[in-house]
Amino acid sequence: MDPLTQSHPHHSRREILRSSALALLPLAIPSANYALHDEQPMPANGGTDPYPIPWLDKNGSHNQPAGANLEPSHIYHFKGRVARCSTFTGMGTDDQGNRIAFGSPTTDYGVMQGEYWAARAARQGTFTHI
Amino acid sequence: MFRGPAVPANQIHDFHPPIAPSGLYWVVPVPERGLTISPDGNTFTLEMQNVAVVDQPRWPALDSIATPARMTFKMVWKSTGEPLKYDDSSKHLRFTGTRASCQLEAEVEVPSIGFSWKSDPLNASKCDFAILGEEVNGRYYDS
Repeated sequence: MDPLTQSHPHHSRREILRSSALALLPLAIPSANYALHDEQPMPANGGTDPYPIPWLDKNGSHNQPAGANLEPSHIYHFKGRVARCSTFTGMGTDDQGNRIAFGSPTTDYGVMQGEYWAARAARQGTFTHI
Repeated sequence: MFRGPAVPANQIHDFHPPIAPSGLYWVVPVPERGLTISPDGNTFTLEMQNVAVVDQPRWPALDSIATPARMTFKMVWKSTGEPLKYDDSSKHLRFTGTRASCQLEAEVEVPSIGFSWKSDPLNASKCDFAILGEEVNGRYYDS
């Protein structure tokens, strides 16, 4: 009598061989384990990009038009100089000589210069929303 | 940009930087000396050359195709002297400044379709709302 079929009466020899092969798979792809050993310790404080204004996201876009009593800055945790404008109108000319208008009630721009907080530290920078 | 009246159906180009992975919305860093502020703080001049932007003619449609483009511009804010102050403790926002005027001249180029456009000179443009001043928000609001 085959000792394998006697000790595991519900598994065929083919099933046992397949299970053994699957058990070896982690040994065949060890790169993920070794990659951890190669990494150097480093701070994990997040990126140095400024934060968006969190409560501007009422439209799911972190954007809003410029206007009285509305947030002038597009970055959060910020102190410094700002300028904001909207509702531009003007004209221009394309490469074919066509006169084309630019601007609409939602054409807005802004600039921010000063200190902002990112990656758990104060930083200096100038940014524009265009 | 619009062919005809500025309504969505007439929009033929819309230039802006891509939205950042962080959600930062159409915001790009300004190079050193890109922004100059007059000694009295009443005039801000922002000038940038060849800013990497995209042209999304069908913006804000979610499937609006974004074509790489370049933008060069000069924008000048001038204070009118009329004071303006917002202070909203619920939003941790305080702005102190003045109303302003603002004018813009710009050039854009979409190399892949051979399109370019140049605005009329700065003093030919106008905007209906502008402010300049100083702001604190977020963690700086209570400091």
